[in-house]
Amino acid sequence: MSGAHQHIGRPVPPRHHDRLVRGHGRFLADLRAAGVLYATLVRSPLAHARIVGFDASAARSDPRCALVLGPDDLAERTAPIPTAWRLPGQPEDRIPIAAHTARYAGQPLGIVVADTPTAAEDLAEAVRLDLDPLPPAATLADALAEHAPPIVPGAAGNEAGSIRLGSPEEDVAAAFARAELVVEREFTLPRVNPSPLEPRGVLAEYDPGTGLLTVHAGSQSPHSMRQDLCAVLGMRADRVRVIAPDIGGSFGSKVVLYPDEAMVCAAAVALGAAVRWVESRAENFDGAYQGRGQRTTARLAVGHEGRFLAFDAHILADLGAYATQAGSGPHQVTALTLQGPYHVDAAAATVTGVYTTRVPTGAYRGYGMQEAAFIRERLIEEAARELDVPALELRLRNLIRPEELPHTTHTGLTYDSGDYGAALRRAATLAERPPPSDPPWVRRGTAVVAAVEITAFAPSALLETFGIAWSGWEGVRLRINHDGTVTAYSGVIAVGQGIETSLAQIAAEGLGVPLDWVRVELGDTDTAPHSDLSAQASRALTLAGGALLIAARRLADRMRTLAAGFLGTDPDRVTQRIGSRADPSSPDAAFHGTDGARITWREVAHRGYRGWGNRKDTDRIRLEEAVDFDPPQITFAHGAHAAEVTVDVGTGRVTVTGYWAVHDSGVLVNPLIAHGQIAGGIAQGLGQALSEEARADAEGVPVTRSFREYAVPAAQDVPEDLVIEHTCTPSTAIPGGFKGLGEGGTLLPPAAVTCAVAAAVPEIAHTLTSLPLTPSRVRAALRAAGITAEGGLR
Amino acid sequence: MSVRTVTVRVNGVVRTEDAWDHTTLAEHLRTGLRLTGTHVGCGTGDCGACVVLLDGEPVCSCLVLAVQADGREISTVEGVAGGGDLTRAQRALIEEHGLQCGFCTPGLVVRMAHAAGRGGSEADVLAGHLCRCTGYDGIRAALRKLSGGSGGDR
Ligand code: FES
Ligand code: FES
Repeated sequence: MSGAHQHIGRPVPPRHHDRLVRGHGRFLADLRAAGVLYATLVRSPLAHARIVGFDASAARSDPRCALVLGPDDLAERTAPIPTAWRLPGQPEDRIPIAAHTARYAGQPLGIVVADTPTAAEDLAEAVRLDLDPLPPAATLADALAEHAPPIVPGAAGNEAGSIRLGSPEEDVAAAFARAELVVEREFTLPRVNPSPLEPRGVLAEYDPGTGLLTVHAGSQSPHSMRQDLCAVLGMRADRVRVIAPDIGGSFGSKVVLYPDEAMVCAAAVALGAAVRWVESRAENFDGAYQGRGQRTTARLAVGHEGRFLAFDAHILADLGAYATQAGSGPHQVTALTLQGPYHVDAAAATVTGVYTTRVPTGAYRGYGMQEAAFIRERLIEEAARELDVPALELRLRNLIRPEELPHTTHTGLTYDSGDYGAALRRAATLAERPPPSDPPWVRRGTAVVAAVEITAFAPSALLETFGIAWSGWEGVRLRINHDGTVTAYSGVIAVGQGIETSLAQIAAEGLGVPLDWVRVELGDTDTAPHSDLSAQASRALTLAGGALLIAARRLADRMRTLAAGFLGTDPDRVTQRIGSRADPSSPDAAFHGTDGARITWREVAHRGYRGWGNRKDTDRIRLEEAVDFDPPQITFAHGAHAAEVTVDVGTGRVTVTGYWAVHDSGVLVNPLIAHGQIAGGIAQGLGQALSEEARADAEGVPVTRSFREYAVPAAQDVPEDLVIEHTCTPSTAIPGGFKGLGEGGTLLPPAAVTCAVAAAVPEIAHTLTSLPLTPSRVRAALRAAGITAEGGLR
Repeated sequence: MSVRTVTVRVNGVVRTEDAWDHTTLAEHLRTGLRLTGTHVGCGTGDCGACVVLLDGEPVCSCLVLAVQADGREISTVEGVAGGGDLTRAQRALIEEHGLQCGFCTPGLVVRMAHAAGRGGSEADVLAGHLCRCTGYDGIRAALRKLSGGSGGDR
């Protein structure tokens, strides 16, 4: 009945690419604003200090200076940022903007606004800070030490609260009592910098005449930024508008309002002017929220014939100087997803949040699931080694089978669909190849690991259950314009992933029209449907796409009904035939009656706009559909990765020589984009496996502040022949059968690489519990095991 | 600190603008000449997003001062296709999904334009360019396509 376009499943190159390869992107720093002023933040050089003085008199008397806001001024002009996801017992539920104690090096304490960027920098340096140093607590150990300095004033110690998720205690105890083998390890997942290539930035403009604050920001979630800004600035929602321009990557680091961004907006309001701040790379390393930061003791109980009985873990979560909006959220997700794709009789984990004098941690691609996969798959690999059975066999023996789905885990997650064994076996098969002959100082190993992935984080009721003060639903508006072209509005954000193309494909599919009739409009809170979580948690395509498919089908029906009215026949006697290159007014883009009569798509739209045709009083007129979609449950993607590595036992250097990934994200809308998401995620995961760690010195001052000290993967660090395959188990919860894939690639590389290193050098396997596997860390483990290039060869 | 007049021929057009003596070429291009296609990802010469051709040779424009470019010839990403047809390299990047957010892309496009016809290896082109989004996979597919290989296997 509809145009046979089948846009879903086609590897269409994303539509934003053309302008970007020409250098015609519109990123934050590219935006023009009349009379714009420039901001620089005054940041604490110390990790922990009382702010005794903030003397800006020299800066203020400089003619280039427009404004300085110090802690006292900020206290008058701002309220703290409310948090959304808290731990039971968390002593602070707001994020201070006006600080009288600096709790991490790089914390913004004030803001200077001047007529040029250089002037703003000079004047920020002219602010004289009088700081009374307090002892730092830069690590979990320091923060939990007996005489640790309290980081939250008035709190007893530095624990930020605790939660236990999963099976009842007696079930866990009973499972461990039955165990024939218990493997227990302590794992360290260091802090990492998400490091999008474009740092953060804000252009805020306040018009005192209208009272409107317009904020351009590289935000993954403009609606939640707007809500937080309203709370911070005491402004009405109808007076605050947030617009996201092109965004140069985000990966979770641009999801929430930061205090420094709020200061820029406060400065714009104070000045009644436009103020721009663009973060430097060093500031991004110091001040953008970091990912991971976890030390976890975990154990696996194994019973008769290698059957998994239970997982149990205690997660110490390094929250940093304060708990951000989502606070311990990523670590709670580690607890929720520890069980993975396996059967166990019990699974539980405790999360204890800990304040440290370092920049807060927050969302980063993989959001706790990567940590869970690392811990779980390492424990399994260790169990296999101790039992002397192949790890693959042990995994396959314990997997949840497709016919056992849906399956509810011990933490209450209901896996909807998938074939975990198929992915695992396929990845293992792909990785099978005859080993080349290596020089004697090189060891080679392969491992294959698996994970289940939370995608499309919703439904709203689930967030309510967890006490998360955000919604999970996603809304869209889809409009056929008077000339027959189509505009889709969604609250999700384009961060480079190509969502505007995928959504256009879905809308075009549902309407049965050519792809280029559809424009997707995102990013402006004045026009975009509400979305709290927007483009995070692997949810944009699934939830906005699911909503859009419903809207498109409804609109297609309405067009057919209108056409039938004009043709004087019944809707089910009307055929929509639209050529793939037709434009809306051409004769080959028409509805056909049975008698040879036809009416073009454009004509139907045009008459629809006039309100013409037979219409009942209750019929809608506007050719627009709004759909709010709150899915019945989370939909779970899954995957298996295999890595082959070599270890140079002389230098300790680990090289990934082969990498194979098999993913199931249900129905793929655009395989080209899907491939790119997985490939990019794998590269980030490899960085965490081998090189990335946000380090600080003993005083808690960051030492990784550029791409020289902090090694994100360069081309030579990613294998040239990444193999990525997709299997397809459609989601049963999402219209169209879509599942998310933004994070999937990131989940498994640390586990796969580390298990492969363990396979290559079993002598050090039990020590491989901390990332990244830098040459020095591996070399130390090799030496401790008595292995050297000369002497320790097998 | 002083202001100097800087004259450059950028993408074939002679442009004269004032620049502070501490202004980088990247900032001068972006702010003074309004050519915002050149991106600054690090400002320290590590990411390659800001690469332009200075007298035909690739440089990190964040490490060059505007005054050092006085009297010289510059090509930026905006000049690679001009207003018209895309180059083979640009088309290959699009077709093989060799970019996602596109923030690293301008430097890479300039580098690929420079390498075109010179027969440098894939590693030569990619050295000095960081991409956080693609894992280099789509970029490599584009480079393979350009060197006559099959491009992507997808
Ligand atoms: S901005 Fe010049 S190399 Fe990164
Ligand atoms: S495409 Fe985003 S950094 Fe390369």
